[in-house]
Amino acid sequence: MRKKSVELTVLNPRGMVEAKSAFAPNPRVKDLAGKRVGLYSNGKPGMDNFYTVFEELLKKKYPTVTVKVLTGSFEITDKDAKDWSPQIDTFVYAVGD
Amino acid sequence: MPAVRSREISSAEFYKLRGEVKTVRPLAEGIFDALTSALTTPLTPQESSLEQDKKGGDDTPAEITVKAESYRVALEDFNQLYLDNRWGDGLPLIPPTPDAVKWMLSGTSRNPYEVLGTINPKHGIATIEKIAINAVMAGAKPEYLPVIIAAMEALADETFDDLHFLASAGSFNLLVVVSGPIAEEIGMEAGIGFMGHGWRANNTIGRAIRLATLNIGQTWPGINDMALTGRISPHTFITFSENTELSPWQPYHASRGFKADDSCVTVSPTHGESQLNHFYGGMIGTWTALGVLDRMVEDIVRTDRRGLFMWGTKGIGKYPGSGGGALNHLIVLFPELAAEFKKMGYDQPKLQDEIYQRTTIPYDEMNHAERKAIQTAMELGVIPADRKAVFQAALNPGAKVPVLISPENLHLFVAGGVPGCAFSFNYYRVPPYNQTSLITRLITGATLTKAGTTGVKSVPYGA
Repeated sequence: MRKKSVELTVLNPRGMVEAKSAFAPNPRVKDLAGKRVGLYSNGKPGMDNFYTVFEELLKKKYPTVTVKVLTGSFEITDKDAKDWSPQIDTFVYAVGD
Repeated sequence: MPAVRSREISSAEFYKLRGEVKTVRPLAEGIFDALTSALTTPLTPQESSLEQDKKGGDDTPAEITVKAESYRVALEDFNQLYLDNRWGDGLPLIPPTPDAVKWMLSGTSRNPYEVLGTINPKHGIATIEKIAINAVMAGAKPEYLPVIIAAMEALADETFDDLHFLASAGSFNLLVVVSGPIAEEIGMEAGIGFMGHGWRANNTIGRAIRLATLNIGQTWPGINDMALTGRISPHTFITFSENTELSPWQPYHASRGFKADDSCVTVSPTHGESQLNHFYGGMIGTWTALGVLDRMVEDIVRTDRRGLFMWGTKGIGKYPGSGGGALNHLIVLFPELAAEFKKMGYDQPKLQDEIYQRTTIPYDEMNHAERKAIQTAMELGVIPADRKAVFQAALNPGAKVPVLISPENLHLFVAGGVPGCAFSFNYYRVPPYNQTSLITRLITGATLTKAGTTGVKSVPYGA
């Protein structure tokens, strides 16, 4: 076996990704009756269509539920989370074109 | 994130059926119980545990040593390793040795550890050093580095939407235009073939930006870069410089509030499906400035009128009109054409106004849906407050309605040789996932050129 006489030291081109603080999830709601449900998406028409049906089904099964439609980027910003959390009890996050 | 409960619909089902409420209904019905159960079933101890979420960050080493029996084999092993790690672009890379990176950093006075911001989709941290590593890999020279840094600063700007063009299924691209004296000083080609191959500065500046987005943002085709067809000019984006020598006008960046003798980089995504709209010129046929202007106007009216209905929707993201409420047009004029326009009395602002006026549509010829879209756009804020009066006045019999929000949505660059061609790209005025779709950034910190030296201070690497 030939000796490995050449050494090439190279630097890592990747950007470091900062580990985010971990938060324990809130307890789940026991049922959805009377609850405020957030439906979050990236606002594409396909998701709007899906949520239209989902909201209809929710209100049929839980007539006292209220729905808040939320849109934004793929990631929910801290600011949006702070703004929305007092307005909802639970939420669904979905992305789809 | 194990604490997040996910329930999935396959993309094969969703993409086929999502187009209408009635077609997507069975999918929503099919997953309804699973979703409501996920919302209401108590968390398990494992889900409640924080320990599982403490992993994160990037544990790849800062440097790697490749050992081989010859330099040829070491180079091949290095290239394969980087590609296997998804740190390459498919073309051979220059090894970013510490010595090569130090050499690259000699082109800037900026602190190698300075953080410019983060790049989507993984929010990788863009430092001067990481950009220099990618610039070495791309084959760039140190005098190009300040240009590459300025472009990356623009992409990392907290208002700029780099997520959409880097990740969207629509195969969007990036336009990078260098303007001002640094372009000529570092040897950027602005004449015949300026968007083509053979120009080390143009090609490696573009490639360094491409590699830096790929590696710092951590994207990969089919994983989180969902560009369905990939991109034209995939290794370099679309990178060129204005032809300052032959342009009769001030450089583009002067129209953006910079001094004419500054050196700047402008970045903007471009649409994937309509890469380039050709207005002819040069050797392709006989041309007149008015004839080219007519073709521009026809193209803008056709394109923008087709998208008028989108003005009346809320937009894709959270900003009114995002991803569809009117376009920016990035128009490249060849020097002879710009000279003809100058003879006709047009500088850039006057030509912007002329095109803006010529692309208006008679109110009386608009259909009900188009009028309603404009009206709704005013109510939703898609038309910004400072342009509302213009559109209110236009929505009347006998008036003419703009298809552009403002003349400033026409960006006029002068590039190419003699003869040349005129063409344009376009993109959303407000992008889908952030506030800004176009940024012009001052080039700073250059140490090897006369231009781009603003903000020079000496910061040694490794100190």
